[in-house]
Amino acid sequence: MNSEQILAEIREANLSYLMLAQSLIRTDRDQALFRLGVNEDTAALIGTLTPAQMMKIATTNTLLCRFRMDDDVVWNLITNHGKGAANDGMSRLHASILMAGRHQEAA
Amino acid sequence: MARSKSILTEARQIERAVTLIQLGARLQVLESETDLSYERLLRLYKEVAGKSPSKGQLPFSTDWFMTWQPNIHASLFLNTHEYLNKVAALDEIDTVIKAYQLYLEQMQSQGLEPLLSVTRAWRLVKFVDNGMLTMTKCRKCGGHFVTHPHEIARHYVCGLCNPPARAGKGKPAVQRSLDNHDAEPAGDLRTGMGLHLCPRGGAFVPAAGGH
Repeated sequence: MNSEQILAEIREANLSYLMLAQSLIRTDRDQALFRLGVNEDTAALIGTLTPAQMMKIATTNTLLCRFRMDDDVVWNLITNHGKGAANDGMSRLHASILMAGRHQEAA
Repeated sequence: MARSKSILTEARQIERAVTLIQLGARLQVLESETDLSYERLLRLYKEVAGKSPSKGQLPFSTDWFMTWQPNIHASLFLNTHEYLNKVAALDEIDTVIKAYQLYLEQMQSQGLEPLLSVTRAWRLVKFVDNGMLTMTKCRKCGGHFVTHPHEIARHYVCGLCNPPARAGKGKPAVQRSLDNHDAEPAGDLRTGMGLHLCPRGGAFVPAAGGH
């Protein structure tokens, strides 16, 4: 990928993310806070962005969203390291519980 | 009493009640969470659900939440509930509704049967509110799980970090029973679950609580 392609793909991803985030916020703001993992101020801001603003924000060389989990525990559960397929469902449930419990980052 | 209420408030309450009925709530939940009269709720229930509400007492025991699989589901719901509680300013019952909808979605996306009914979810929040249940942090994974109060936090390990010996065998049994509702699944797994699900089961074995 050359840098032109990289920039184009990042803009695409950012734009899709912003549009999804906005429609989630407009559908149900409170649930969107959980889904997106952002705080209320950020949600209010995203909710009022115009298409032109979104285009502008999306055009950059970094992604606007980043991973919600940055620890081994959740990663291992999701990628299911060292466990059989029988435990897959339980591992994903476990990861969901851990991630749902992390509101300090959002608040 | 109802006459002095604003029509807008009433409209919101009816909307809430409809959502709860669609989620499968028992009539007692509606009675407790709205100011609508019993007769109106009954009519609303029949209109929305197309049948009469089921009768009988609500499950009253906290023990159900302590059994292995229900505890996992209850913990997922309660974590979601607490999340919404922290980040969004909602009425108590709306937090329950929205958290329960998110819980259902998660079950759907992972292809699991939602073991927690909305009535139980509502009940769980009440139990937590009046201190009969709480959440304790697992010392292994750091997740928060539904426990009895006064669980010794330093020693607590959750049911997912330390599953019971039979744990892996329970799930296929549940799925099998879903595939054919009417057929009685063979084996002792179902009876094992049945014992846990019996609402009175726990009440007579307080020794199991270990207080």
